[in-house]
Amino acid sequence: MPSSQVPSIAGAAIDPPALRDPALDDALIERVDRAALRDRVVALRASGVTMLLDLGAVDYPERTPRFDAVYHFLTLPKKKATVTEVGTPKRIRLLVGVPVNDPVLPSLTDLWKNADWPEREIFDLFGIVFSGHPNLKRIQMPHDWEGAPLRKDYPLRGPAREKTPRPAFALKSNVPAGAPPSGKVAQALERQSRRTGDS
Amino acid sequence: MDVVHREGNTMTLSIGPQHPSTHGVLQVIVEVSGETVERADMEIGYLHTGIEKSAENLFWTQASTVIERMDYLSPLSNALCYVLAVEKLLGVTEKIPERARQIRVLLCEAARIASHCVWLGTHAIDIGAISCFWYAFDIRENILDLTEQAGGARMHPNYLRVGGLNGDLPQGFLGKLDELIAKFPERMRELRTLLQNNPIWRDRTIDVGVLSLDDALAWGATGPVLRACGIAYDVRKAFPYSGYEGYEFDVPVRTEGDAYARFLVRLDEMDEAMRIIRQVRARLDSPGPIAVDDPKIIAPPKETIVLSMEALIHHFKMVSEGFRVPPGDVYQAVEGPRGELGYYIVSDGGNRPYRVRPRPPSLYNLQCLKQVAVGGLIADMVVTIGSLDPVFGEVDR
Repeated sequence: MPSSQVPSIAGAAIDPPALRDPALDDALIERVDRAALRDRVVALRASGVTMLLDLGAVDYPERTPRFDAVYHFLTLPKKKATVTEVGTPKRIRLLVGVPVNDPVLPSLTDLWKNADWPEREIFDLFGIVFSGHPNLKRIQMPHDWEGAPLRKDYPLRGPAREKTPRPAFALKSNVPAGAPPSGKVAQALERQSRRTGDS
Repeated sequence: MDVVHREGNTMTLSIGPQHPSTHGVLQVIVEVSGETVERADMEIGYLHTGIEKSAENLFWTQASTVIERMDYLSPLSNALCYVLAVEKLLGVTEKIPERARQIRVLLCEAARIASHCVWLGTHAIDIGAISCFWYAFDIRENILDLTEQAGGARMHPNYLRVGGLNGDLPQGFLGKLDELIAKFPERMRELRTLLQNNPIWRDRTIDVGVLSLDDALAWGATGPVLRACGIAYDVRKAFPYSGYEGYEFDVPVRTEGDAYARFLVRLDEMDEAMRIIRQVRARLDSPGPIAVDDPKIIAPPKETIVLSMEALIHHFKMVSEGFRVPPGDVYQAVEGPRGELGYYIVSDGGNRPYRVRPRPPSLYNLQCLKQVAVGGLIADMVVTIGSLDPVFGEVDR
């Protein structure tokens, strides 16, 4: 079922993390302002956090700030340790809001080397820029791709998807990249949008 | 390998993305001086299939089909992590029947062995030990047969459902499982005989691809890669799920941090996984429910739709619009064959996942190659890639 035809039966939640019972999770959850992010992370590091477990992002188009960057940290011992010495390490989740008109976050690559690829991935798929990243370029999508595919307003399929600009490599003809569809493709799209009422 | 650039004593080579020793579609651009690697840059994304985006556009149940395709060597670990996370959001974690949990553990441990078999077979081929591949794939074949019996497909059975399982184990499954349990120790002995004390194998792997403990933490390595550096962090012990606290097993640890240590850790893990399977097998004889008794999450048995109007309605609703999950976000992790496999899932109260963010262990394990490969030989880099065991379905998603 194309997403453009069957809308999701969604609740009205604009900020789901705020609604949730924190007792469900085994992580300590903290919302941090992006200006204070680096200080907080440096403080966490000093207090024994040893691993940047994961770094992801979520798009809430109705909310301000629009994006959430989600950092997961883990406190493992810094030396050789048995199962009992590791015990149950603390998991910490930081949620950082990022506004859409100024999508910039400080990079953590100088603190944790493994922040490199996930930061590039968020840049690639959400269009959030990490200032201070040494090599910020697309990682999953082709280098000449346009748009940020994991944003909610990036259509998956259907007429709206067909109308988004195409990257150069996808074109089999001599139509320049980014040009709107023409000829038989345009006619077919028009018929389709008349049928579905999507203009 | 194509020569990209040559200047003085150094040469820039592009290895992959179609090179067999890169275990998929990894491109490594190396600067070599003679045969010594001076710099290694990696290019990934050749297998990007937009699984996260697809999952957002499918029902909660449908999404697990694409999620199983991330780590395609161990699809059941992915499915388990996903269903556990959704069950947490639904608040039904405590209601999952014991038998369903046992079968989940059984199949996930079998998948761990199957995944390590692929790793061992291909890793050995990289180093030049061809025959080992057939011994390893023989075990894997038996496990895929078991998966097929249980779920209907060899690789991606989509057998785990939110709330339980898609049907009980079929007749004859336990007999086949017993055959595997009986055959396994002899096969493992053969694999160890082939490699463990083989002087060529030891020469090629000892002190190759050494990752220090500090670097392992800095690169976010988990699973066998971290455990080969000396930290016994295993999600099954640290954050037990699906009843793992009820099984006896050890967490193999080594301290050397080289390719040989990772090899030994994984071999020991296969033995430990079989130990868990034997314990589950002993508990599987008594029948019981295999899913929560809640028609809003798991549709009632198909046979009942000709007898009961409610059952028909529940089936219709389940197929046409799935079920809703209360709004919220959750992080759930399991110990996959490659390390901590986590899912950060957000629900907005609708019938589709709002966001599914996996924490792919291969992505983090593989990143350290940039550092580990430098200073070694090109041939050793191939060994290092093999010993990190990346799966590109998961790295690229």
